[in-house]
Amino acid sequence: MNYIKELLASRELLVNLTLREVKGKYRRTIFGQLWSLANPLAAMLVYTFVFSFIFQIRPDKGDPSGLNIFALWLLCGLLPWLFFSNVLSLGVSSLVSNAALIQKVYFSRVVLPLSQVAARAFTWLFEMGVLVVALAIVGSFVWPWLPLVLVVMLLLALFAAGVALALAVMNVYFRDTEHFLTIILQIWMYLTPIIYPISLVETQSHNVGGIFGTPITVLDLYSLNPMVHFVQVFRELLYDNRWPSGDAMLACVLWAIGSFTLGLIIFRRNEKGLAEAL
Amino acid sequence: MSEAVRIEDVSKKFRLYHERNQTLKSAIMRRRRSVHEDFWALQDVSFSVPQGSTFGLIGSNGSGKSTLLKCLAKIYWPDKGSIAYDGRMAALLEVGSGFHHELSGRENIYLNGSILGMSKKEIDRKFDEIIDFSGVEKFIDQPVKNYSSGMYVRLGFSVAISVQPDILIVDEVLAVGDAEFQEKCFAKFRDYREQGRTVVLVSHSMGSVRAMCDQVAWLNKGHIMQVGETASTIAAYEKSLDLGR
Repeated sequence: MNYIKELLASRELLVNLTLREVKGKYRRTIFGQLWSLANPLAAMLVYTFVFSFIFQIRPDKGDPSGLNIFALWLLCGLLPWLFFSNVLSLGVSSLVSNAALIQKVYFSRVVLPLSQVAARAFTWLFEMGVLVVALAIVGSFVWPWLPLVLVVMLLLALFAAGVALALAVMNVYFRDTEHFLTIILQIWMYLTPIIYPISLVETQSHNVGGIFGTPITVLDLYSLNPMVHFVQVFRELLYDNRWPSGDAMLACVLWAIGSFTLGLIIFRRNEKGLAEAL
Repeated sequence: MSEAVRIEDVSKKFRLYHERNQTLKSAIMRRRRSVHEDFWALQDVSFSVPQGSTFGLIGSNGSGKSTLLKCLAKIYWPDKGSIAYDGRMAALLEVGSGFHHELSGRENIYLNGSILGMSKKEIDRKFDEIIDFSGVEKFIDQPVKNYSSGMYVRLGFSVAISVQPDILIVDEVLAVGDAEFQEKCFAKFRDYREQGRTVVLVSHSMGSVRAMCDQVAWLNKGHIMQVGETASTIAAYEKSLDLGR
C-alpha cells in the first residue's frame, strides 16, 4: 500500500520525464512528431508488398464491416505490436542509461521505465488516431468501439510495462538481456498473427492434430502467446467492428494484471541495490 | 536541542569483485554470479546532527565520507544500522544531474525540480527566484547544451537550493562556480541556518568547513575517529596528517 502511495506521489515526475522523452526525441528535426509515423508506414509498405502482393495472403473480410484492405488489416495488428516491442526495447535499458541519475539523486526509480512506457504510449495514441481516421475514410464504422479500444490499449500498456519493469532490472545484473531481447522480439513477432491471419494457424493445427498423441494442439501452444489475444481483440474492434470474443478479452485482462503485478514486485525487490549494481 | 538526523551503527559493505559474471554465459558456465570479498566502507558509524546546525564530514580520500553521504541521501542502503530523519531531506551530490541537453533551461528547471521532489505549483512559485539566483535569465529559453559549464552548474545549484528542505545534504559541490557565486552559496547556507534548517556537508577545504560548520565528524577508513566541535576536531585531523608525513 505504501508503495502505491509513493507511486502516486511521483506522478508529476513521471509526467515530466515522459515529456522529456517526447519533447527531446524529435527536437531539431524538420518533421518532428511525424517521424513517429515513418517507421510503421515503412513496415506497412514492405509487409503489404511481400505478404499481400507476392505471397497472396488473404485475410477474411471484416465482419460485419466488410473491409477488405490488407494494409489496414495489417496496421490493426502491427501498431499494437510495434508499441509493445518499442516499450520493451527502450524499457530494458531505461535503468542502465540513467545510471548517472540513479547514483546521484534519490527518487522513485520505477518512474524511469514507466516514463518510457508513457512516452511510447503517447506516440502510439497518435499513430492509432491516424489509423482510425484512415479506417473511417474507407467506410469502417469504428467510432462506437473507440472507448473499448482505449481500454484494451491501457491493458496492453500495463502488460508491456510489467514485462519492461522486470527486464530493466534484469538488464542491470545481466547486460546480455537487451541483446537477447532483440532476437526474442523478432521471433515473437512471427509467432504472433500480425502479418498472417490466425485462421492459417488454425488450419495447420487441425491438420496436425494432437502433438505426439496428446490432446494438446499446435493452436493451444500458439495461444500461450499473450500477444495473440491482444492482436485478435484489436482487429475485432477496429477492423471487424464487433464485440471482441470473451475468451480473448479475458486473456488480455489476466495477462495485463498478472504481468504488471509481477513486474512491480520484481522491481521493488531489487530497487534498493540499483545504485550499487549499476 | 532536538536531532535532525540520527545515525545509529550504520555499516555499509561493498563487494570487491575478483570475477564478476555480468553476462549470462559466464554465470551459467561457472555456475555462480561472482567471486568477491567484502569490503566494509563504513563500520558502526553513529552520531547525530542537531537541528539547525551545519555539520561537516571530513577525512582523507577513501575514508567513507561520500558513502555515508549517499546512505544519508537514500542512494545506498546501509547493510546494518539505521538512519532516522526529522523533516524533509534533499541531497545535492551532483548539480545538474538529470538535465536534458536538448531542452531549454526553463524546461529543465521543471524537470530537475520534479526529480528533486518539488511539485509544479511549488516550482511556479519559486521560478523567478531560481532564475534570479542562477543569473542565466538571458539564456533561459536556450537549450542547456549551449550553456557554459559555469552556467550549467549555477542553474543546477539554484534549482537544488530552492527545494528548501529541512535537511540539506551537500557533497563537494561548492568548489564550482566563480568566487561571486560561491559567496552567494555561502550566504544561502547562512540563511538556511537562520531558518533553522540543517545542513550536512562534505568538504576537503578546511577553510570553508571552519567558516561554516558548528560541528564536525572525522572519518577514517570507515570508522568515526572524532565527533565534536569544529576547531578541535579539525585540529586532531590535521595533527594525524602531520604524523603520517
